[in-house]
Amino acid sequence: MRLLPEPAGRIEGGRVEFEGQDLIELDESEMRELRGKEIAMIFQDPMTSLNPVLTIEEQMVETIKAHKKITGSDARARAIELLSMVGIPQPEQRLRNFPHQFSGGMRQRVMIAMALALEPKLLIADEPTTALDVTIQAQVLELLSRLAADHGTAVILITHDLGVVAGMTRRTNVMYAGFVVESATTAELFAQPSHPYTVGLLHSMPRLDAQPGEPLIPIEGTPPDLRFAPVGCPFAPRCAWRVESCWRGMPPLEPLQPTTEVHMTGSGATHRCACWNRPTAEEASAGRPLRAGFTAAPEPIGAGR
Amino acid sequence: MTTPVLPAQAAGAPAQASATPLVSVEGLRMYFEITSGVLLSRHVGDIRAVDGIDLSIEKGETVGLVGESGCGKSTVGRTILRLYRPTAGRVVFDGQDITYAEGSTLRAVRRRMQMIFQDPYASLNPRMTAAGIVSEPMEIHNFASGRERRERVRDLLATVGLDPDYGDRYPHEFSGGQRQRIGVARALALHPDLIVADEPISALDVSIQAQIINLLERLQGEFGLTYLFIAHDLSVVRHISDRIAVMYLGKIVELTGSRALYERPLHPYSVALLSAVPIPDPAVEGRRRRIILTGDVPSPSNPPNGCRFHTRCWLRERLGNPDRCVAEEPVLREMTAGHAVACHFAEEVDGTAEQVQVTGRPGSGTPRAAAGPTPAAAGSMAGEAAGFPAAAPAAPASPEGDRPRLRKRS
Repeated sequence: MRLLPEPAGRIEGGRVEFEGQDLIELDESEMRELRGKEIAMIFQDPMTSLNPVLTIEEQMVETIKAHKKITGSDARARAIELLSMVGIPQPEQRLRNFPHQFSGGMRQRVMIAMALALEPKLLIADEPTTALDVTIQAQVLELLSRLAADHGTAVILITHDLGVVAGMTRRTNVMYAGFVVESATTAELFAQPSHPYTVGLLHSMPRLDAQPGEPLIPIEGTPPDLRFAPVGCPFAPRCAWRVESCWRGMPPLEPLQPTTEVHMTGSGATHRCACWNRPTAEEASAGRPLRAGFTAAPEPIGAGR
Repeated sequence: MTTPVLPAQAAGAPAQASATPLVSVEGLRMYFEITSGVLLSRHVGDIRAVDGIDLSIEKGETVGLVGESGCGKSTVGRTILRLYRPTAGRVVFDGQDITYAEGSTLRAVRRRMQMIFQDPYASLNPRMTAAGIVSEPMEIHNFASGRERRERVRDLLATVGLDPDYGDRYPHEFSGGQRQRIGVARALALHPDLIVADEPISALDVSIQAQIINLLERLQGEFGLTYLFIAHDLSVVRHISDRIAVMYLGKIVELTGSRALYERPLHPYSVALLSAVPIPDPAVEGRRRRIILTGDVPSPSNPPNGCRFHTRCWLRERLGNPDRCVAEEPVLREMTAGHAVACHFAEEVDGTAEQVQVTGRPGSGTPRAAAGPTPAAAGSMAGEAAGFPAAAPAAPASPEGDRPRLRKRS
């Protein structure tokens, strides 16, 4: 979305292609044209991402008119249509309300309505339900998946909740300290988790359907400080599977099975993992290394972390 | 209905025979006044945060308290610790009525009960060192002194998995998980019997949460602690608790062993809550049926008549909206040994739970909830719209000029 302020955040390199166009090369006015219309975003906290001193109507009409040549009354009619689409009762009256007059779940619906106002091709949902209660989360997720399916919108769902990932997505990228460490179709990722971090996440949270008394296996240590660039694999200090080479170089994101053709998207996306010493299937289900005599490699002296 | 044996009761809850429960709460009510007006504040209503609950906690037991935001679960914990003065009811701690205890009596009891807070950033004084934070309760209660106290602080820090030499560091020098460990060490400082843990892990990174859960479990074994574990995350509560109380709008709607709650929930709200918790397994998620509740939780200042859940209840709709739910408030009644539920029609829930839960076999028929003419029917994630227009309008905040303020009623 190119929303991070410079100079605090700076794009160092790489490409971000959207429909064949490199977004990084666009200037700010071209980017503004694209935002909202082609790519829209929903944020975690709907209270801080809505303007508290404007009514919902003012905010929605502003969004619609910014991108479409349309009269005020048509924009208003569109806003009412959008609110009823996301299941807000009495949309005509609710349009005149301010954000604080909505509950958390209702506010997130307003956000979804605004994000979908211009029928974007891509919707980026950043922790859309983290601030919500579980029954309200179920409502919002159901709404999001239904609307995305109806409008053919692609969705990037950013979340820390593996349960939400399992229920909502087709493909998953697991990130750690700025790197994608594992990438696969969601079905394959959960059937065959192959990165120690993915394995660790799956074992560190209790599952509702777990057998009582099943112990949790926590990931030791703490998330890394991103001010200091890691030498080697960023997960190495917390990893039970680390070998000596993990301290020296970042492993590349490579297919599990050697293959000539790597599919990045779709239901046949290649399962890839960035790890020098991948847990076996048995180890992944046990949550710890099982090889006889294996101990995690100690940090080399003078590694200079 | 046959009476099923509840294994959780045998395995989970410790001997019910033990003389007195550590904590016993009867008819507890905690209202917060709503006042209005600029100079002369008038009492215009009450937030009924807790509205008549009975709960007892045995020694060595972990009781989980779950519910959604605003259901009163934190208020129950705080009222048991007597951080509030209850509006009505009784709080008995180890045989001693502390409902209206004050001064030195209250302080003596407080030594035996401690709290772990949700936010380890806000609950530690940024200008005190870790050692200072952990030793402060000992200062207040004249517990050990001098060298002995310093030794104890080091022991406590080591017990919770921190380096004792870090005692002279300040909270900002620790990570979130380490800070929560300091909070745990502070709670342990006075050898308490009861620890009220209010959302102790929800502010932590997911990869850290298990560390704290395991720590709390280990400490319970080591020190024979009794926990009241308050959280919104049902998976976590189920993992750590022997028994679970499900709260909705200031009332306990179901109280049972944690295994029984999962395998055989009897309150329609519990069923919906369980079905809404996502499970990190796409194969399981694909099979599950979700009951999507319509609308939001009503305001606790003006709770619905009769059963408080009737405005969102899928079971009531399925039964053709019986008047009894509106006319008569259901009492918490014991359906089977150790399994209490507050629903007039809990017998009807029988079986439905299995169908909406993971154990539900795909293709073995739609859940019974979906059979009725209800828009709140279950649907899979990819399923149809669950009738949002039927949602009750969210209670808007007061549009009047002078907005209601919360004030403790005393």
